[in-house]
Amino acid sequence: MPGSGAGSSARTEALRITDLTVRYRSSDVLSGIDLVVGTGELVALLGPSGAGKSTLLNAIAGLVAPSAGEIALAGTVVAGQDIDVVPERRDIGLVFQNYALWPHLSARDTVGYPMRRAGLSRAESDRAALELLRRLGIEQLADRKPAELSGGEQQRVGLARALAREPRLYLLDEPTAHLDTQLRATFQAELRTRQLRSGAAGLCATHDPAEALAIADRIALISGGRLVQVGTPTEVYERPVSAFAAQLTGAASILRAPVFTADHDLVDINIGDVSTRVAGATDGPLSPGVQSILIRPEWTTEAGPFAGAVTAHWFRGPHTDYLVRSAAGEVLIRRGGPPTHAVSEEISWGLRRAWVIGGGQPQDQPRDQPQLRSPAVSQPNAAAMPR
Amino acid sequence: MSHPRLVSGSRPRASGPVRAATVITILAVAGLIGYPVARLIPSAHFGAALSAPGVGLAAWHTVALAAVVTVVAVPVGAAMALAVRRPDLPLRRTLSVAMVVPLVFPQFVLGYSWTQAYGKAGFTDTFLGLHWQGLLGPAGIAVVLIINAAPLCYLLTAAGLATRAQPDLEHAARVSGASPATVLATVTLPLLRPALGAAAVLTFVATLESFAVPQMLGAPAGFSTITTRIYADLALGSDPATFDEAVALALGLVLLAAVLLIPADLILAPRLRSERTGQSSSAGGRAPRTARSMFIAAGMWLYLALGVGLPTLALIAASITRAIGLKPTPSNWTLDNFSALATPASAQQLAHSLELAVAAAFILVVLGAIVALLARTVHGRALLGLTTLSLVVPGSTLAVGLLLAYGRWLDGTLTLILLAYLAKLWALASRPISGAVDRLPPAEVHAARTSGAGPLAALRTVVVPALAPAVAGAWLLVFLTALHEVTISSLLYSTHSETVAVALLNSQELGDIGQTAALSVSLTALVLLAALPMAALLRMAVRRRGIALPDVSELPREVSVAR
Repeated sequence: MPGSGAGSSARTEALRITDLTVRYRSSDVLSGIDLVVGTGELVALLGPSGAGKSTLLNAIAGLVAPSAGEIALAGTVVAGQDIDVVPERRDIGLVFQNYALWPHLSARDTVGYPMRRAGLSRAESDRAALELLRRLGIEQLADRKPAELSGGEQQRVGLARALAREPRLYLLDEPTAHLDTQLRATFQAELRTRQLRSGAAGLCATHDPAEALAIADRIALISGGRLVQVGTPTEVYERPVSAFAAQLTGAASILRAPVFTADHDLVDINIGDVSTRVAGATDGPLSPGVQSILIRPEWTTEAGPFAGAVTAHWFRGPHTDYLVRSAAGEVLIRRGGPPTHAVSEEISWGLRRAWVIGGGQPQDQPRDQPQLRSPAVSQPNAAAMPR
Repeated sequence: MSHPRLVSGSRPRASGPVRAATVITILAVAGLIGYPVARLIPSAHFGAALSAPGVGLAAWHTVALAAVVTVVAVPVGAAMALAVRRPDLPLRRTLSVAMVVPLVFPQFVLGYSWTQAYGKAGFTDTFLGLHWQGLLGPAGIAVVLIINAAPLCYLLTAAGLATRAQPDLEHAARVSGASPATVLATVTLPLLRPALGAAAVLTFVATLESFAVPQMLGAPAGFSTITTRIYADLALGSDPATFDEAVALALGLVLLAAVLLIPADLILAPRLRSERTGQSSSAGGRAPRTARSMFIAAGMWLYLALGVGLPTLALIAASITRAIGLKPTPSNWTLDNFSALATPASAQQLAHSLELAVAAAFILVVLGAIVALLARTVHGRALLGLTTLSLVVPGSTLAVGLLLAYGRWLDGTLTLILLAYLAKLWALASRPISGAVDRLPPAEVHAARTSGAGPLAALRTVVVPALAPAVAGAWLLVFLTALHEVTISSLLYSTHSETVAVALLNSQELGDIGQTAALSVSLTALVLLAALPMAALLRMAVRRRGIALPDVSELPREVSVAR
């Protein structure tokens, strides 16, 4: 798996998961998960709903028992090898997707709860809880119960409760799933600065590629209970291991076209008898022939050797996406400004970049993964893409 | 849209039907509950009644019994509900169903089966030479009533756990550093407070009102409660003084119940109705099976076996054994007790029971639906509150009140018993239906209207399918409770209106063991026969349509009080 564990042995590890399997009613919810999170590192767990993200977080927290494999926190095995440390003895803080705030406790009592469990007196935990709420800017809500808090406020209280434990590893389960766009951006910024300051590690489950790319040091793509790819945001976005991985991280067109190695990392791509040469499309030797080629909308250029008819277009605000028919399939092209070409108009385009999926090696896609969809419908949050 | 005019424009308020329904509801409450209870007041001679020998003692027995049953049944039911949540509990699903099974047994059948299991000449006496002396008396009454009440406390706690204490809330406490015991004390139990409070109040009031078990197990020992005293005054006494005493006791009982139930309903009902806050997300259980959970499961099975299993076996054995004192071995088996039931009188009793149950079920489902739909209008909430009265007034009180109010014309008729059933079981029908109406999102009706459905088409295609399971459930609940009922019918029956349940009580008092056991088995079989197919149909409807069953939290409270 490219990128996984690269260089992490040199650092201290906050979390190491080895060959983890969780079976539920004789079907594998998670299988063969290997993942390392270094100290101070924030890893995003990106995948569609039902991929096993929550189960993985729950297994790390000790709320779900693994069927096989091993989990170690800061070098200490907490699950596996006949060891099963109970959740309250694991050094983690968990932020729940639905916040899981106790309806009978005020914000202050909720945040003070982990401190009380750690042995602080009521007066001490009260003071510390208020201080924490103040740092998050919600001390005026200290005496309110969850029913009297808005979604964003509940989320902050849930976060404060996790912070109150001062753990070495934070687990965040879709922390922004129920927030509107603006609150989401605020939270992402806050999480990043807070995490940088504390030096603690984080594992953040999300189904939003824009969020994962924006906040994470590394991204782990998960699907059908397996890790598909682990790497830095750039790696995962620009050099996906499969068409499926490419579509998980943003708008992607996949063309089938013949490719030839020109020189080292220069590759010739042939679409409809016209050829173009791009750099960085592969990181190894390429087997010539018809290959799957990933094209991100922003990798296309305005002028170029190729031509095709516009079949649809979407105005995204800063730019417009055109779906263009080419000899090798439909391709999504991005141009600045509002739409200037009508449907069925012929436009010319070129390529600045491309990525030959699988380096031209025969691809073995797991059968349980969704089939490739046409690029027109596979553009998750293309507008929110931070580039 | 082909007929835009049908959708646009202001919707006319159907004020005519609403007004008519309101009048019907108010008249029904006044005629069935208000007037009969009011009739008690001028007739009650408290001074004379309270100074009668034994009345004070009966009142003390009633309250003490209710306290003891509540203090034991609520923790037992709650502990069972918490135990069944353990993911590692062996046979967890089976246990969670088995815990509710005692509800199928009419109270007096449970009481009678205990005498057959642990009483003199009972099962354990025959085989081991052991019998429980205290069974006939306060201790026996308390134990049987606890076993009878525990399933309701269990259901209320389970409903409270499902709606308020989601696994995520407990997980949040665990990952905050709390041990399982601390989680129970700081999160689970505080969240369950409303449910436990409701269970306690309902158990207390249900015990106050209970009649059959105190009568069956208390009478031979000379132990009396308010309800058995009323029964003795009306059924056995003949002079005006005993009638006055019955009236005074009936009024005292309703005051006692009202003082407890009305504030409890006001405080607890809104908290119990609070909605689910979010979907729970827990995949898989935590720990593998532990010795501890095996131990807990064994304890629960033992409880069920001794409390319900063995008594049921003893009851069946008694019903097919040739004579008292013989061992229930195959050579002594006979069906004589059952064939002795095949008399015209028994057929008559069965017909009466079924007529009453069916009539009460149909009328109350209609009344209940009217009230539930009215509850959506401005003054409707108050109407729904009125039907709560039927929960508050004990069966014995209603019977005496109705006798005073309408006895002149209806004494000894099935109609009088039916009126009492309508009064007593109304809330049983209206609460589940209004619960279902409450949960029906207005958007669903709006979606139907904007899809081109007229008001009636929307009612037929969206509202009725969503309410159907609740209506069917309410029907079944009223039907079964009416079949079980003995408190009211034993006070109001005559030779022309005897029901199976009354016949059973009389046959027990005559001491005919084989006959009583056979009747008990038959009545329970009848209840099962009606309940099982209906329950299966309901479950099918639920699965096919994806409609929620009537909230369990709304059912047991009425079941307990209506007994």
